[in-house]
Amino acid sequence: MLIALVLSILFSLAIGILAARNRRAEAIIIPVLDVFQSIPILGFFPLVILGVIAVLPSQIGVDVAVIFLIFTSMSWNIAFGVYEAVKSIPQDYIDLSQISESGSWRRITSLYIPASLSRIAYNTQTSWAVGLFYLVSSEILTLGSQNYQATYGIGVRIIQYATEGDWTGYTYAIISLIIAVIIWQFVFLREFALWSEKYKFVEEARGAKKDPIMRAYSWVNQRSISKLFLLTHGRGVTRFTSSLSRFRRGIKYAIPIVFLIFIAFEFGALMTLPSEVKHLPSLSVVLGDESKVLVALLFSFIRVWYVYFICSAVGLPLAISIALNSKLYNMLAPAIEVIASIPAPILLPVLVIYLNHNGEAVAGLIIFLGMIWYIIFNVMAGVRSLPHEFFELRNAFQITKLQTWRNIYLPATFTAFVTGSITAIGAAWNTLIVAEYFSPFGASAPTTQVAIGIGKTIAVATTQSPYDLLTLTLAILSMTALIVIFNLTVWRRVYHYTTKRYAYNR
Amino acid sequence: MIAREVTTTKESGQGADLGGGSVPIISVEHVSLDYKKEKEQMPVITDISLTANKDQFVTITGPSGCGKSSLLRIIAGLSKPSSGVVKFKDVPITQPRSEIAMIFQNFVLLPWRTSIENVVFGLSSKKNLTEDEKKTIATKALEDTGLKGFENVYPGELSGGMKQRVGIARALALEPQVLLMDEPFSSLDNLTAEHLRSEIYSLLINPSSSIQSVIMVSHNVEEIVELSDRVIVLSPRPAHIVGDLTINIPRPRNKKSEEFFGWVDKLYSLLA
Repeated sequence: MLIALVLSILFSLAIGILAARNRRAEAIIIPVLDVFQSIPILGFFPLVILGVIAVLPSQIGVDVAVIFLIFTSMSWNIAFGVYEAVKSIPQDYIDLSQISESGSWRRITSLYIPASLSRIAYNTQTSWAVGLFYLVSSEILTLGSQNYQATYGIGVRIIQYATEGDWTGYTYAIISLIIAVIIWQFVFLREFALWSEKYKFVEEARGAKKDPIMRAYSWVNQRSISKLFLLTHGRGVTRFTSSLSRFRRGIKYAIPIVFLIFIAFEFGALMTLPSEVKHLPSLSVVLGDESKVLVALLFSFIRVWYVYFICSAVGLPLAISIALNSKLYNMLAPAIEVIASIPAPILLPVLVIYLNHNGEAVAGLIIFLGMIWYIIFNVMAGVRSLPHEFFELRNAFQITKLQTWRNIYLPATFTAFVTGSITAIGAAWNTLIVAEYFSPFGASAPTTQVAIGIGKTIAVATTQSPYDLLTLTLAILSMTALIVIFNLTVWRRVYHYTTKRYAYNR
Repeated sequence: MIAREVTTTKESGQGADLGGGSVPIISVEHVSLDYKKEKEQMPVITDISLTANKDQFVTITGPSGCGKSSLLRIIAGLSKPSSGVVKFKDVPITQPRSEIAMIFQNFVLLPWRTSIENVVFGLSSKKNLTEDEKKTIATKALEDTGLKGFENVYPGELSGGMKQRVGIARALALEPQVLLMDEPFSSLDNLTAEHLRSEIYSLLINPSSSIQSVIMVSHNVEEIVELSDRVIVLSPRPAHIVGDLTINIPRPRNKKSEEFFGWVDKLYSLLA
């Protein structure tokens, strides 16, 4: 995990600075990052494994693939942070450094890196949780495969304990994971974040400093949302509105680039297939496969959305209620931070037993647990940033509770809710792959699965030996296409509408 | 040094004498406010007493940060004083009440509601009114503040002056007896502010107006002299009263008269 993090940060620094300082690079890099942010990376994992194995020997290959996956998941977030940090550097400082520093290397160390530190620190907090999720999920995913299994990792260990019936071991493993998360978060990450404050250019409101959740989630998550959705909160956004046209041009380059990367992995994957299988499938086979994939997609789509509605119905009022009550919030916020960093998939063994191997119930619950934090965090941050004046208004005019919720709390947090929803749905698609199909040790052990689902389709494709590459490819492509199209059509309109009507300038 | 030129308040009789001119509408009695910061008590306001009588326009002023807005919020019932009491017609104010309405410096309109919806929102506390009745009242209030035709417009589409008009309409729709204004014109450009000042004044002296007393916080000296009958000047923190003036220029006040300039000078000297 640490390797991935360090690599992430270095990579992000490089890309972020490049994008911020070079217009042409920006036009290409930002859309690429955008696209990567939206696609369900976990789905690509099996492909990545194959691609890497084409180059590296089998066992190391899987582990490298895992690291690569985690690296990927963490980078976009951090890269965006660097990009924005560098873009927000007041021009004076840039001019000064151009005059006094000789050579761009010194400029990087003395200006760009310190400027980015704060964003990196805060983004790392969320990225870490994300990375942990991918770590565990990818390990679990490989367990199903006969050929390619991750060697050793906390995800593997936890599942092993459970399947061996070693519940004490399982519990200890989970507890040690929680403790590790707590220590890491509170000792290192939080200190890192607070230390990096001194590198900021602008003194922000005193109160905000003490609340790392709000700092981490309110603008981090908003920023890491695809720039397709125009943001109107906070400073620095006006810079982006002017570059939107450049962005539109850039998207033309982004999609081919991502596609090329995909093809590269696909090619690598093909290389690993035994030669008997290496032939182009006939069109009818492809279409037949694709139609199955589309049906699976439909089922998963419905699944994701009904869980989303439950999540919102529970999460929205809960988040608002907690965040309104300062005492409660300060008590619960650290606890929620920790709980949210625990990746839901490690609970799979427990859920499977308690829910009697009911695939639909297990899937629903895992997706719910994966999604709800995004909604809760974003809405809580939204409530915490409500201007004091709204509360004065409510008091001065003696507004009833019902009216206050209808007219103040709900509309004011709506943009935060939409932001959280977008990330939540994105996360849900990713979670599907481990949620819909759980088969710890191959076909011989009992599996917990939904009847039909795209996550299951992908997971099942990886249990074949060798991988069912055709189905895998079709499934990944179809799912990605659906998500991207949905983003561009539905989310964009929703976001545009909400920011027009529901944003307020502070 | 206190420059007091005012009639002292009569001792208030028992009970709320709602009709009499002898009972002050608002009476602030030995109010102090401390600010708790990390276990230390920092006094913001110390022992302030003042009254606002019927048909009086009272302004509270003082240097920036002296606590005048805090005092206004105590009068509104939005905060509790550390000691002392504020009374409305002899009844202590412990929380906001619909007889006392407030206008804010930054308008504080709901951006996602239209003008009329904002005014209706202000009527939330009137539970005995139906939605239609509230709408009628709101429409009239908007008309009175010159916003006829703008009922279904969102605040984002309104200018600063118009937003404050909505704020005024919202306050007046309650038919309050006391109007509190927290630097109501300081977020507006000079021209708009001028217009609004005279409009507010016409609204106040209109015989059908329910308002019996106005308390305004401002640091615009000309504005204060233009509008006020009585000016309470506060010192820097911790604030106490350093001046209590009664401006008796007859209305309508000519802002170019010697008398006017005299008062302006006097006020500046107290503030300096």
